[in-house]
Amino acid sequence: MSDKSKNLPSKQSLKSRTLQCKNLHEYLKTLNPSTLDNLYNHPTTCLAVFRELPHEAKHFVIRLLFVEQPVPQAVISSWIPQAFVKELTAATNTLSELRVWHGAPIPGGLPGWILNPSFRKNLQSALLGGGKPWTLSAQMEEDTKPRDIKFLDDYAMERWECVLHYMVGSHQQEGISADAVRILLHAGLMKGDEEDGSPIITKEGFQFLLLDTSAQVWYFILQYLDTVNERGLSLVECLTFLFQLSFSTLGKDYSTEGLNEKLLIFLQHLREFGLVYQRKRKAGRFYPTRLALNLATSQVQLQNDATQAVEGYLVVETNYRVYAYTDSNLKVALLGLFAEMMYRFPNLSVGLLTRDSVRAALRSGITAEQIVGFLRLHAHPKLLANNPVLPPTIVDQIKLWENERDRFTFTDGVLYSQFLSQSDFITLRDYAQELGVLTWQNEKKRTMVVTKEGHDEVKKFWKRLSKNSS
Amino acid sequence: MDEEEGNEYRWESGYEKTWEAIKEDDDGLIDSAVADIIQKSKRKRQEERMQNARLGMMRHLILVLDGSDSMLDQDLKPTRHLCTLKIIEGFIEEYIDQNPISQLGIIVTRDKRATMISELGGNAKKHIAALKEHFGNQSSLSGEPSLMNSLNLAINSLHMLPAHTSREVVFIMASLTTCDPGGIHFTIQNAVETQLCCSVIALSAEVYVFKKLCQMTGGKFNIILDDKHFRDIVYQFVEPLTVSQQKEASLVKMGFPHHLNIDEKEAGSTLCACHLDSQKPPATIGYFCPQCHSKYCELPVECSVCELVLVSALHFAKSYRHLFPIPPFKQLNVQETSASCFACAKLLKSQDKYIYECQRCKNLYCLDCDVFIHDSMHLCPGCVSDQNLLTTQIDSPPNPS
Amino acid sequence: MAIMEQQSKLEVEDVSLLVVVIDLSTEQPFLQDDKLSLTHYLNAIITFINSHLMLKACNRVAVIGSDYCRNKYLYPDEKNKLNIRQTDSQYEMFTLVEQTIRNNVKSFFNDDSSKDDEDEPSKLPSLISGAAALGLCFINRIEATFMSKDNLNSRILIITGSLDFSHQYMSLMNVFFAAQRQNIAIDVCSLEAELKLLQQGTDITNGHFLLVPSANLSGLVQYLLWVFLPEPPLRKHLIVPPPVKVDYRASCFCHKQLIELGYVCSVCLSVFCKFTPICMTCHAVFKSHILLPKKIKKRKVNSGSPMSVSGSMRSK
Repeated sequence: MSDKSKNLPSKQSLKSRTLQCKNLHEYLKTLNPSTLDNLYNHPTTCLAVFRELPHEAKHFVIRLLFVEQPVPQAVISSWIPQAFVKELTAATNTLSELRVWHGAPIPGGLPGWILNPSFRKNLQSALLGGGKPWTLSAQMEEDTKPRDIKFLDDYAMERWECVLHYMVGSHQQEGISADAVRILLHAGLMKGDEEDGSPIITKEGFQFLLLDTSAQVWYFILQYLDTVNERGLSLVECLTFLFQLSFSTLGKDYSTEGLNEKLLIFLQHLREFGLVYQRKRKAGRFYPTRLALNLATSQVQLQNDATQAVEGYLVVETNYRVYAYTDSNLKVALLGLFAEMMYRFPNLSVGLLTRDSVRAALRSGITAEQIVGFLRLHAHPKLLANNPVLPPTIVDQIKLWENERDRFTFTDGVLYSQFLSQSDFITLRDYAQELGVLTWQNEKKRTMVVTKEGHDEVKKFWKRLSKNSS
Repeated sequence: MDEEEGNEYRWESGYEKTWEAIKEDDDGLIDSAVADIIQKSKRKRQEERMQNARLGMMRHLILVLDGSDSMLDQDLKPTRHLCTLKIIEGFIEEYIDQNPISQLGIIVTRDKRATMISELGGNAKKHIAALKEHFGNQSSLSGEPSLMNSLNLAINSLHMLPAHTSREVVFIMASLTTCDPGGIHFTIQNAVETQLCCSVIALSAEVYVFKKLCQMTGGKFNIILDDKHFRDIVYQFVEPLTVSQQKEASLVKMGFPHHLNIDEKEAGSTLCACHLDSQKPPATIGYFCPQCHSKYCELPVECSVCELVLVSALHFAKSYRHLFPIPPFKQLNVQETSASCFACAKLLKSQDKYIYECQRCKNLYCLDCDVFIHDSMHLCPGCVSDQNLLTTQIDSPPNPS
Repeated sequence: MAIMEQQSKLEVEDVSLLVVVIDLSTEQPFLQDDKLSLTHYLNAIITFINSHLMLKACNRVAVIGSDYCRNKYLYPDEKNKLNIRQTDSQYEMFTLVEQTIRNNVKSFFNDDSSKDDEDEPSKLPSLISGAAALGLCFINRIEATFMSKDNLNSRILIITGSLDFSHQYMSLMNVFFAAQRQNIAIDVCSLEAELKLLQQGTDITNGHFLLVPSANLSGLVQYLLWVFLPEPPLRKHLIVPPPVKVDYRASCFCHKQLIELGYVCSVCLSVFCKFTPICMTCHAVFKSHILLPKKIKKRKVNSGSPMSVSGSMRSK
């Protein structure tokens, strides 16, 4: 599912791989058509897919939502002015790939589009009602000890940070379950150490740590879904349940009625990662947390109650200092990945962005873009008021340090030297040049370099030449 | 600080403990104290503005800017010159926006001379361009200002205008001196006779002759505290001033062109009269003067062919709001009410220090809505949501049905 | 395609804030003639509102009901927050919005406090200007919570079937100018008449004006979804009906007719089509500009030459 190749990179490879993660659409496109159609039988999937469509596609779907016959393609193309033809093709392609609509001829022979009937029915029922409820919580009694939003947020962050702490290696928190470790290994975020077999973090793991929380959760869940078949759970069921979770209301409790055994196991795993809260394993109700709500979206939502502003804790100054107003070990450890930590106070840590510290991070596979993104993501509200948010000198310098590592390009080759005569050298060199495999040559020293692939050809030619002359 | 107009000598009054007016807040800053002062003076001004007072709606305002080297002083950041430039640019746009049928001119005085850098007109972009060109460069500031020359120049520009318009001059002076070729008092007398209303905004200290000028012509003399106060004072001049009852009223002939872009096939392409110099290609759309049918691109404009003022009904509608101001709301302390702000439906909690009550409709508003209503909207939603109050409002002008 | 690098660039979606002003006057012709029932009217509007919320999770909405004697917020209602549990497949958020609006519409009609003691409701049009002013204040409040206005676009949609709002000219113009300054688009969906005044407003603020043909009133929801659902930055991507041409000529106070050339009182800015000596609104006396002929003086001439008649024209 993720794009990395199965062979792990050797230490000699100087190019690092970046973490590839699919967003919802990419993921759905990898599923086979019948699975997808099954998924569309549920209103929440349709809502989730709808919200991820490009803007124009969303409006096409809404306009066709109440239309039962196919609509001519020419009519739909006329909805977008000529200047934006690119958007039109992007929209139609996405809709076709996701099987939200398909072509159908209209009476009269012209090609038309019609919405996938189950998608249409379920989206309508999510909008207007009339189908079966999916939360089944209408008959639930009031919780005697209700939990408020703040508690849920704290709980979610605490559980999620357990996983992150484990990756970073700080041992203050309790360890995580073997299941979670297995997923981390499967995802390539950690690998078994050669000496004692305990897991240590990989380059991809570092990159993973610098992402924002909702992207981390989504990546993690995707990896989990990969392994879902081995555990005996059905992919469709799990996905549907996840989508249901993402459309719950924060702060409300939902009943576990209607969830079969396998889904209850899934629920326990989600509880461990902090996506839901349950007081006891056997409790009949659970509370989805903020991590579950932001699940399938690839866009970061600006929450304009105080929560977004509270999360930012970094101040970056033009003298390359970074001040982190936090006392969380995890956050300080993350900062220490690419900055040199200088001072630590109860509520403040000071780091310095030096060439060495940034290069160390770059060596372990983190890119400059990720560092800058991380700084921007966790910028303190005071810093956010600046425009641009981070000082441009710092951003440029980090990118320059990254470019410094690109001074060399490496091509494998074979060296030819010690030619006996100048004419031999010139003949061979011209032949190699004609073939297009000549990388470098120096006439005075009579040396030349040929690419690995061309080496065989050139060797054969040389042998023939020497045979002819001798 | 406001100057006292007592008859006593300075030493006869007790100590003015002016420092007590400014208090430091918890962090040792006085920003909030200055902001408080600005807020209080704003409310005082609003209360003073009487209803049903005659206002000079068609205004001709001349700005006189000090181009002497005292503008290079750095007591306003970064320099007085740059600070003034920024504030005046904003003021020009605001003035033209709020008074579409009024005109503005700019004079700069330096090297003991005065030059008119922008003639009286209603085009904000033109004024700002002229301002940047002639006043924008720091190297152009030199010498001493001349009050008399600038006043004479202003009088020359304004005295030919019809009597029903208001004639105002606003001086922005940073210098403490003025270099005049003759008797300044005669010039001031002249200004009084021409019915000019001169106001001065001093950036450094009070100068007797400036104050005398303001007193004799009926204008206001201000000294700034800091840049925010400066901005506030300059923006006061966006509102029309009250004029005396003896001022003449007259009927001005104006044209209301129809934006002709219907039946484009019939209307031919024509050149517009406002861009005759530049190479604007002929187009079919534009406004046609009802008297002489010359075309213009934008309104309001004075037709260069027949001298008829062309406006649209929208510009009047903008100016009407000065004639019907909303009275300020009464400030109340928040008690334990579970009320919500009438305008924005926000629950009024004890965090908000004050809530505001409209005297006419008795609805409650929060601070943000109070500011928004008085500064931007000029309309109390509560009064307009009550049919009785709506019909007994001051006569609303008729409109296209 | 979201490579980790791109995701860390913080693609933030624009929040779109929609304020809907619903004309709930029972005197509207389409209700009186029964071309569209009140239930159907409300259903169409609620579907439209929920579709707006469906587009993006961050979209927000406010609804204001307007009648001839009062304006009231129908949603959000922070004092009576409903506790919603799913009873059918509708998403909980949509159910909350729908139930709140329906409950508040019921209480709106049952609220008799601001009406005068009359048996039949007044024929006066709804107080749309007040409702739009409330909408502007709400938008102002929400804008204050955003750190930069780049991510927020707001608009007001007025849905009305009334015929004429001329008595609210001043307030409506104030609302339009305030909206223009704040970059808030005002859209109008009219069910009955070509409301010239509201057309001016949509023109000033770059909004849309649509008159739904009375034969198609039952398809109101499709009109709303088609024309008014796309948010302003997206409108250039989708073809929408062309703007109406608005006439900005003034009308004279004496005959209420549109004129191209008029006389304006310099004190109160009232427009007249011909010269009058006293302004009708502010009673200011005008000095006359008309040239009056002076009385012809008879001069005694010494010689027998014909009398020279001097008639000088004196202009003031």
